[in-house]
Amino acid sequence: MSRNSADVVVIGGGVVGCAVAFELAQRGCTNVVLLERNTLASGSSGRCGAGVRQQFGTELNCVLAREAVRIFEKMDERLDYQPSVEFRQSGYLMLAYSDHQWEQFQRNVALERSLDIDVKTLTPRQTLDIVPFLNIDGMVGATFCQEDGHANPFHTTFAYARAARRLGVEILTHTEVCGIEVENDQIKSVVTDRGVIATSTVVNCAGAYSGKVAAMAGIDLPVWGERHQILITEPVEPIMGPMVISFHHDFYCQQVPHGSFIMGIGMPGEPKGYSIHSSVDFLEGMAVTLRQLLPPVAQLRVVRQWAGLYDRSPDAQPILGECPPVERFFNANGFSGHGFMLSPIVGVIMAELVTTGRSSIDISKLDAGRFARGELVLEPTVVG
Amino acid sequence: MVRLKEHPILDFPPGREVAFTFNGKEIRGVEGEPIAAALHAAGVRVLRHSPVLGRARGFFCAIGTCSSCLMTVDGVPNVRVCTEPLTQGMVIETQKGHGHLPID
Repeated sequence: MSRNSADVVVIGGGVVGCAVAFELAQRGCTNVVLLERNTLASGSSGRCGAGVRQQFGTELNCVLAREAVRIFEKMDERLDYQPSVEFRQSGYLMLAYSDHQWEQFQRNVALERSLDIDVKTLTPRQTLDIVPFLNIDGMVGATFCQEDGHANPFHTTFAYARAARRLGVEILTHTEVCGIEVENDQIKSVVTDRGVIATSTVVNCAGAYSGKVAAMAGIDLPVWGERHQILITEPVEPIMGPMVISFHHDFYCQQVPHGSFIMGIGMPGEPKGYSIHSSVDFLEGMAVTLRQLLPPVAQLRVVRQWAGLYDRSPDAQPILGECPPVERFFNANGFSGHGFMLSPIVGVIMAELVTTGRSSIDISKLDAGRFARGELVLEPTVVG
Repeated sequence: MVRLKEHPILDFPPGREVAFTFNGKEIRGVEGEPIAAALHAAGVRVLRHSPVLGRARGFFCAIGTCSSCLMTVDGVPNVRVCTEPLTQGMVIETQKGHGHLPID
């Protein structure tokens, strides 16, 4: 370790931590150390489906996602990254299978359009213009946003990390946080297995482990791990553009630029925990759902199955901002499956909060105090 | 012809000769032998091209592991022809890129 003190210590070398570190340095706050227990993107960032969508049911989620997409669109230039973070705006096709869901989708579309997000509503038949081999039995309707898409989560994380390093951020991998020293509600230092870093400011970007990191500072933060499984097929030439997503089936599937299909389903009754083992139940459930919704894709061989952790919060919404009574302990976690897609704008917001105490988008509703106040943020449009 | 007839350990029981096509050209092989063996015996050395750089790929691991011999067989892409048995009338084609998934 070359530094024994830093203005800001960022904990977690996933896409969120790397984005926060870069945005801090971009604002002149370059005396930053990022700590990662394993390697960059080795946790949830490198395990995720990496979809990026703007179709949500709350205004704040729509705005955050829209701003994230605007950053993704220019990310290669902004971070001066070769080859590319592979952001492709191939759209999200969201399927409704009940009148109740369809009504919710239509409310979402009205909201999205009011926020300049270009979303179309489609009849089941019209979805065949986008995915000709989709099984439309039982479908009530669908919504489609062409500007939604997908990026490569490894390249995105590495792009932020490289750009942050160029600006002077020190990124330490294989360095585990063991403790956070707090005196009179003020942070004194972060203790790692490779030494102590004196600091006044911590940004907790530890994903599913954020609750454990917060506990080191004496903070009770309701964030826990929840396993989500995923698989990838052999590659074939492109036949499906958008992410296809059905909340009814708790299902998503996308063909990535390489030609492979990535897909997942939610597994009911998944316990709180930190297991990332693969299960046969998932493979079977996935095969059944895939055969039903996208029959030709079920001919493909599975190349790999794996799992990662959602950093779940009680309302499945992010926890952003400072965390009283401890001063200058900032959270950027609890994303519950949407951390990758929101990471670019979360980096900006956190850097603004850390450097100026204010953010350009009002995220006060997403503070950690909302759970104690009983002011949960309910997003009606999520998988899992 | 490079087909072994005698081997110190393995037996090669006489098999039925069958006809199949390789990129439209009719070839004959032995029923039940790996497709790759029939192609090799017929002098076919390039089984696919690498998807990114387009480099020639031939018979390599011969045990279904390495992806060097992925071909389209009867319309199905990415078949490992080193382990897939030959049958009468098979249509074997080299793939364009990653191969095309049949969607009817």
